[in-house]
Amino acid sequence: MLKYIAKRLLLMIPTLVGIALITFAVVHLAPGDPASLKAQTATEMLASEGMTREIVESTRALYGLDKPLHVQFLLWLKRIATLDFGDSYRDHRPVIAKIGEALPITLTLNILTILIIYLISIPIGAYSALRPRGWVDRASAVLFMALYSLPSFWVAMMLIVLLAGGDYLNIFPITGIISQGADALPWHGWAMNVAWHLVLPVACLTYGGFAFMSRFTRASMLDVIRQDYIRTARAKGLPEWRVAVHHALRNALIPLLTLMGTLLPALLGGSVIIEQIFSIPGMGRLGFESVLARDYPVIMAIATISAFLTLVSIFLSDIMYAVVDPRITFGKRQI
Amino acid sequence: MRRGPAIAAALACALFAGCSGVMDRPPGRLAQSLPSDPPTLNPVLATDTTSGEINNYVYESLLDRDNATLELKPRLAESWEISPDHLSYTFRLRRGVRWHDGAPFTADDVAYTFERIMDPKVDAASLRNYFRDVKRVDKLGDHAVRVVYSEPYFKALEIIGGATILPRHVFDDGQDFNSHPANRMPIGTGPFRFEEWKTGRVIKLVRNEEYWGEKPDLSGFTFEIIPDQNIRFEMLKKGASDVEGLRPIQWARQTGGDKFLRRFDKRRYWMPNYSYIGWNTQNPLFSDRRVRHAMTMLTNRTQILEKILLGQGEIVASGFYKFGPQYDPSIEPLPYDPAAARRLLAEAGWADHDGDGIIDKDGLPFRFTLLAAAGSSFARSLALILREDLARVGIDMSIRQLEWATMLKLLTERSFEATQLAWSLPITQDPYQLWHSSQRDRGSNFIGFSDPRVDEIVERARREFDEAKRDAMYREFQRIVHEEQPYTFLFINPSLVAVSKRFGNVVDYRLGLDPREWVVEPWERLIQW
Repeated sequence: MLKYIAKRLLLMIPTLVGIALITFAVVHLAPGDPASLKAQTATEMLASEGMTREIVESTRALYGLDKPLHVQFLLWLKRIATLDFGDSYRDHRPVIAKIGEALPITLTLNILTILIIYLISIPIGAYSALRPRGWVDRASAVLFMALYSLPSFWVAMMLIVLLAGGDYLNIFPITGIISQGADALPWHGWAMNVAWHLVLPVACLTYGGFAFMSRFTRASMLDVIRQDYIRTARAKGLPEWRVAVHHALRNALIPLLTLMGTLLPALLGGSVIIEQIFSIPGMGRLGFESVLARDYPVIMAIATISAFLTLVSIFLSDIMYAVVDPRITFGKRQI
Repeated sequence: MRRGPAIAAALACALFAGCSGVMDRPPGRLAQSLPSDPPTLNPVLATDTTSGEINNYVYESLLDRDNATLELKPRLAESWEISPDHLSYTFRLRRGVRWHDGAPFTADDVAYTFERIMDPKVDAASLRNYFRDVKRVDKLGDHAVRVVYSEPYFKALEIIGGATILPRHVFDDGQDFNSHPANRMPIGTGPFRFEEWKTGRVIKLVRNEEYWGEKPDLSGFTFEIIPDQNIRFEMLKKGASDVEGLRPIQWARQTGGDKFLRRFDKRRYWMPNYSYIGWNTQNPLFSDRRVRHAMTMLTNRTQILEKILLGQGEIVASGFYKFGPQYDPSIEPLPYDPAAARRLLAEAGWADHDGDGIIDKDGLPFRFTLLAAAGSSFARSLALILREDLARVGIDMSIRQLEWATMLKLLTERSFEATQLAWSLPITQDPYQLWHSSQRDRGSNFIGFSDPRVDEIVERARREFDEAKRDAMYREFQRIVHEEQPYTFLFINPSLVAVSKRFGNVVDYRLGLDPREWVVEPWERLIQW
C-alpha cells in the first residue's frame, strides 16, 4: 500500500507538468493577446483610437511575450517550482494575492451550498428509497427535476426583481456578501449581515443540486436494502428506523464519501453566472475576467492549482475506496 | 394549541430582520456603481474609463477644461506660455498646493511624471504614444516647468496640460513603478482623497478638507463594483445608488413611472462618439466606391435608430463630434434608397449572372460576414435589419459576433470583410490614427483606407495652430471621406443618466455631469445595503 501511494504521488509530477503544458498551449493559442487588449480597451463596443503596432510590441516586450513560446513555458515552470505564480498583467499584483482574496469567498459559498444540498437531499433520497413510489418519492422527484431545469441566471434575476429590487419587495441586498461598514457591527450583527447577503446567491447555487444528490442517495440506498445483511438485521427484530439508519444508510453513504473527494477542485471554481449577477468577487469572476483580459499568469495559476487539486482528490478517493471497502486493495494480496 | 414554536419562529424572524445589516447611509456621500474593478488607480498606467473616473477626483493635471466653454483653463498650473515656434511650453505652477499626505507640490513632481511616462519600463505604452514628440522636460525653479517638443503638434498643449501629475516623493522610493503600492492607494492633490479599496467590491473617497481650490459640497464617494447592468439598474431603483447610466429601453420604457420620477431626474448629454459599419476597402467586395455608396444607401438608418435605439441618437455624416466646431453640418447623410443602390451596384458590374438569386461579378458572389462584438445587442439587431434589406438586392450577409479579444485579433490582422464598431473620441480630434494611410498596417485604420489628399490634409492639420484654418481643412477631409464612404456612419449616441433628486445644482454639460459642483439637499433616511 505504501509503495502504491509513493508511486502515485511521484506520477503526479509529470502529469501536472503535462497538464500545465497543454493549458499553456491552449491559453497562448487562443486568439487575442493581452498587449493589444491593453492598447485598445473597450466597453462593450466603444473603442478608443490608440492602437498602433509599436504600442502592442513594446507592451509584449514588457510582459516577456516576445520570447519564443517554449522559452516562455520554461521560464514559467522555473518560477512555478518556487511557487511563484508571477504578477497579473491586468493590475501588476501578485497572482497569489488575487487568488487569496477570491478564494475564501468562493469557499464560503461552495461549502454552504454543498452542506445545504447534502442536508436536504440525503434524507429525502433515503426516505424515498424506503417508501419507493410513495408521495414523498414522487413529489420530490418532480420538484427537484423542475428545479434542476430552471436556468440559474433566470432564477437569480427573478429573485432579485421580486424580493430585492425596488419594484416589489425590497428585503434582501443584491450585491456582495457583506455591507460596507458592517465590520463595525457587533459579531452577531456582522454574522446576520453576511447571512442576509448569502440567502439569494446560495439559494441560486443550491436548488439545482438537489435532483442529483437525492436520486443518487435513493439509488444507492435501494441497492443496499436488497442486501442479505439488511434482511438479517430485520430478522433479528431490530426496529425499522434502526435498520434504515444504522445498517442501510451508513452503507449507502460509502459511495457518497468517495464522491466527496472529487468535490475538492469543485470548491475552488466559483460560479461565473451567480458571482457576476450578485457582484461577488469570487473565483468564478476572477477566472472569467482573466480569460476575457487574456491575463495569462492568472489563468495559468488557476488552471494549475485546480489540476493539482483534481489529481489529489482522485488520489484521495482511490485511497478512501480501499479504506471503506475491504474488497479493494492496492497491494499484493496475501493468500 | 402549541404556541411555543410559533412564538420562537416569530422571534427568530424579528431578530433576523432587526440585525439584517440594514444600515444608514451618510447623506452627503454619493453612491455610484462601476461596471468593473479598475486595474489600477495610477493614472499613468491606467487605460480604462473606470479608473479615469476615480482618478479625476483624486489627482489633478496642469490644465483643466471648462465645463461650459470646453476651453483649457488653469488647474495645477496658474498660467502657461507657448513659444512662437510652438515647440516649447512653459507652465507656472500654483503655489501652496499640497499632496494629500501634506508634502508640497513642486516642479519636481511634474518632471518626474513626464519622465515616467516616457520610461520604456513603465507599462504605459498607449500614453507614451502621445508623448513621442516630447524632446525633454526642464525644471525652471520650484514652480515652473518647460516641456520641449521636437515637432510642432496642435494637440501638444492639451496632451501636456491634460497629463495627470503624480507625487514624486511617494513613487520615487526604489520600488517598481508598475506594481507600486501607491497604485492602489493614490495620493493626489485633488478635491477628494482616497479612503479605501476593497478589491472587486468597493472604492471610497472622502472630501479633502485641505483642498487648495473651492471645496465640494459632497462629503465623499462610494463606488460599488457591479458588473451586471441589470443589477446596477435594480440598485438604482432600490435606492442603493444615486447615479446610473440607462440604456435606451430603460430610458424610454422602464423609468416613466411616478415612483421613479419622484426620486430621480433623467439627464441626457452628448459625449463625442459615433457608431459605424466599416467596409474593408482592401477586400474585392468593397474596393469600389460605388459599392460602398450602395451599402450606405441600403442601410436604413432612420428605421434602425427608431427601432433599436428608440430614437436615442442622431444620424451622423462624418467622424467628427457632431456638436463640435469641426463637424461639417452641410454634408447630408446619404438617404436610404434601395433603387439608387441597385443602380450603383449594376454600374459597378454586380448582377445576378448565374441566376442563383445572389449578385456576382467575375464569378465572385456578393456574400460577406459582418464582424461585431459579442456583447453588442445593437449590432445583432442592426444586422437583422440590414440583412433583410441586403437580401432584397441579392446580397447575402451573415453576422459573426466574437468576444472582444478575438475580434480585435481579426481586426489587427485585417481578416474581415465588414465590421460594426464605435469610436469614442477626444474633444479635439486628430484623424491621423484612424485615417492616415501609414496607419493601414500598424494603426487603427484597419479598413485600409488610403487617399493621398487625405494624408496631406491630416499631416498639415497637425501643424496648423490656427483653429479656423484647421477646421476648414477638416471640412475638406470630411467631404472626401463622404465621397469615398469607407465607413457607413451611423449615429452619435447620447449618454442617458438618472440622478437622484437629493442633489442640487446638477447641470448637464455637453461632456457630462460634474459632481464636484453638486450640493446635497436634505433628504429622507437613506438605507445602505
